Amino acid sequence: MKTILISFILFFATPLVAQKTMVIKIQTSAQCGDCKERIETTLNQAKGVLYAELDLETKVVEVKFKTSKANATDFELLLNAIGYDANERKANPAAQKALPLCCQPGGH
Amino acid sequence: MKLFFLLGVILLTQPLQAQIRGIVQGADSLQTKPLKNVKITLLGAGTSVFSNEDGTFEILLGKQSPDTLLFVLKGYRSDRLVVTRADRFLALNVVLVSGQLVQEIVVNGQKNPHGISKMKTLHVEELTSAEFRKAACCNLSESFETNATVDVSMSDAISGAKKIQLLGLDAVYTQLQFENIPFLRGLESAFGMSVIPGTWLESIQITKGTGSVVNGYESMAGLVNLEFKKPKEMPRLGLNVYQNRFGRSEINLQGGQKLNERWHMGLFGSAASIYGNFDTNHDGFRDQALSNTFNVLQRFSYQGRHMEAQLGLQAYVDQKLGGQTTYSKEAPIGYGMELASEHLSIFSKTGFFGRKPAQSLGIIAQLKFQNMNGLYGLRSFIGTEKRAYLNVIYDDIIGSADHKIKAGASFQYLLINQWAGQPFGAAVVGVDRTEWVPGLFAEYAYSGNRLSAVAGARFDQHNLAGAQFSPRAHLKYAITPQLDLRLTGGRAWRLPNFVADNISLLASSKLWIADQSLQPEISWNAGASLVQGFSLKKRKGSLSIDVYHTRFSQQLVADRDSLSGMVVFKNLSNNSLATVLQAEFAYTLMRGLDLRVAYKFQDVRAFFNGSLQTQVLLPRQRIFTNVAYQTRNKRWDYDLTYSRYSAVRLPRGGQGKPWALLNAQVTRNWKKIELYLGGENLLNVMQQSPIIAAQNPFGEDFDATEIWSPIMGWNVYLGLRFNLQ
Repeated sequence: MKTILISFILFFATPLVAQKTMVIKIQTSAQCGDCKERIETTLNQAKGVLYAELDLETKVVEVKFKTSKANATDFELLLNAIGYDANERKANPAAQKALPLCCQPGGH
Repeated sequence: MKLFFLLGVILLTQPLQAQIRGIVQGADSLQTKPLKNVKITLLGAGTSVFSNEDGTFEILLGKQSPDTLLFVLKGYRSDRLVVTRADRFLALNVVLVSGQLVQEIVVNGQKNPHGISKMKTLHVEELTSAEFRKAACCNLSESFETNATVDVSMSDAISGAKKIQLLGLDAVYTQLQFENIPFLRGLESAFGMSVIPGTWLESIQITKGTGSVVNGYESMAGLVNLEFKKPKEMPRLGLNVYQNRFGRSEINLQGGQKLNERWHMGLFGSAASIYGNFDTNHDGFRDQALSNTFNVLQRFSYQGRHMEAQLGLQAYVDQKLGGQTTYSKEAPIGYGMELASEHLSIFSKTGFFGRKPAQSLGIIAQLKFQNMNGLYGLRSFIGTEKRAYLNVIYDDIIGSADHKIKAGASFQYLLINQWAGQPFGAAVVGVDRTEWVPGLFAEYAYSGNRLSAVAGARFDQHNLAGAQFSPRAHLKYAITPQLDLRLTGGRAWRLPNFVADNISLLASSKLWIADQSLQPEISWNAGASLVQGFSLKKRKGSLSIDVYHTRFSQQLVADRDSLSGMVVFKNLSNNSLATVLQAEFAYTLMRGLDLRVAYKFQDVRAFFNGSLQTQVLLPRQRIFTNVAYQTRNKRWDYDLTYSRYSAVRLPRGGQGKPWALLNAQVTRNWKKIELYLGGENLLNVMQQSPIIAAQNPFGEDFDATEIWSPIMGWNVYLGLRFNLQ
């Protein structure tokens, strides 16, 4: 009985497990709590994202996502679009200018 | 025993590194306010942190000692401070001075939605807007429902009004203020709290025990300060709509705008309506009064080189219609309840900076007009109030920032009339009063290594109550870096408004007897609290316990015990007291999952009917639990609040039933939109026949004031918040 139950659960759970996910780390130009809030909100609301967390100490954002729905460059471009450098990619200058003062270059 | 063991484990597992804690404030306003996002770097160790929403920060001291802390925030002059290992007990208080014009700082999201502020000498509990989002939170009284310190209950079974209690005492004994300006006082004490929408608020600070003397003489049980959203920092547009199953709808709007470099404007609007006719217990009475409320607030802020100002205007109308289902304005058949209330107030706050950084002069002024009239059955009530208030505060330091001093003068003019009708043709009761109250105050604050203290006193010359002297003292001592002891004691007083403070007691046929001359209410409050912060498996938690004792040397009580069919208002001398013990445990169980458990014991007694008796309709014990979970991607929030109350004593003998409340809410967050669905009173608790003698509302036995638990069953609501930055 138990084995049947377990295999039953496994059968239904398989599609979930099989879905491929990936964890990436992106170096950003975040500087303060406001930046953290902005970056996390944007990435967490992006398609395919399971979670996005920024460490202000290292300025690295960790993103876990479904590989079927997004790829790593999507997130870098998204970060550029809201005014932040992402790895080698430079921020969109207009978006960067629109950020609050503490998030702009030299804000700290 | 288990508790001691736990406490022992917590104490032993404290990190051995020296941790430096403190608060960064900006001297850019008449009250220096906490600064967030200040970059704090330990130059020697090379580590850095950012200050939190409330200005607090914690940083680990490295091997190098002494080391230098550097504080940087654009728009402010940077500052340096040398720290050593001995400073781990210190609550650093760093004040950064505005460089020139203070630059814009945008506020987003909150970090710790709820907590006891570590840095303050007074025991202050802070609720932020993240906390308000946990519950339906339509109006101010409901904002306290996810909180163990303040109790929210219905005031009578007819109006549907809710009242709050702190330290077991009614809200009138707690001084309410809006950004340090007197708020919801006098006539507004009965219905005012339901007029303020929760979405207008940025945060609430609850101080237990007597508050600072700077704010006035009335904080007998505590002080509740409301911070509204600030014109400079609020979104361009914020919209909130709400609908529940019992026919209650609300629309709340607010928006901030920059007028020019120095002026900002904020506009708040709210329209709320209860239109659902419900009589779930089939007693012929509406379970909630129908109501229409409109409220607007417009405020401006000015930031100049040498001064800062806040100006504003608030106006509202509040109308209620309740009672028997047959009753309407057009056809007043049967028992009806009506309320028409109008309010207008204007306020200004100006601050001037002195030559020295910490020197400033603040002036707070307010004018208020209030009209209120209505009826409970055949008993009508009427009230008018005109109030003028002025408070001038001078701020300075003596020698160093460790010694601060505040001194000033205040003046209050009050014209208040309040009258209530009586059943069975008895003469109306009430009072017309004019008050003139000039006052002087001074307060000294010391912040040292482990010890910080505030001592203050005020002297008020009241034209009716005479000269009143109110000394107060607060002390905080860091026993260990994580364990804080606070002691507080002081005297406070007020002049009671026996009609306005007790309007809900008109919902009965009990005759009011109030023949004694009016006396001021005077109390002494003493309290002690211990707060232990800890981190277990890298997750933070806290354990706190506090006891407060309020002893009235004079109190005006509503005696519902001594004589049947009557409420006797009488002055008691040294014959009433309240002792409240509260223990609270908060811990992050796992990433995103926060638990808060509290236990409260309240012993509130007054001399009724020949002996010291427990206050009626007040539960002696309460257990509170709140569980909050946020998914890792922050898209979903789940909240569950459970409160269990012990039985209450009823007037003239008997007991109510113990009851429990369960509320739950799910929120889905998008970039600009939050959608929330919640349920209240999910255990479907309903007080059986809440109205005594409902069949005969004009008879001698009719009484709708003996209520303690909900009278309507489970509720479900849906709401939406939209924010445009």
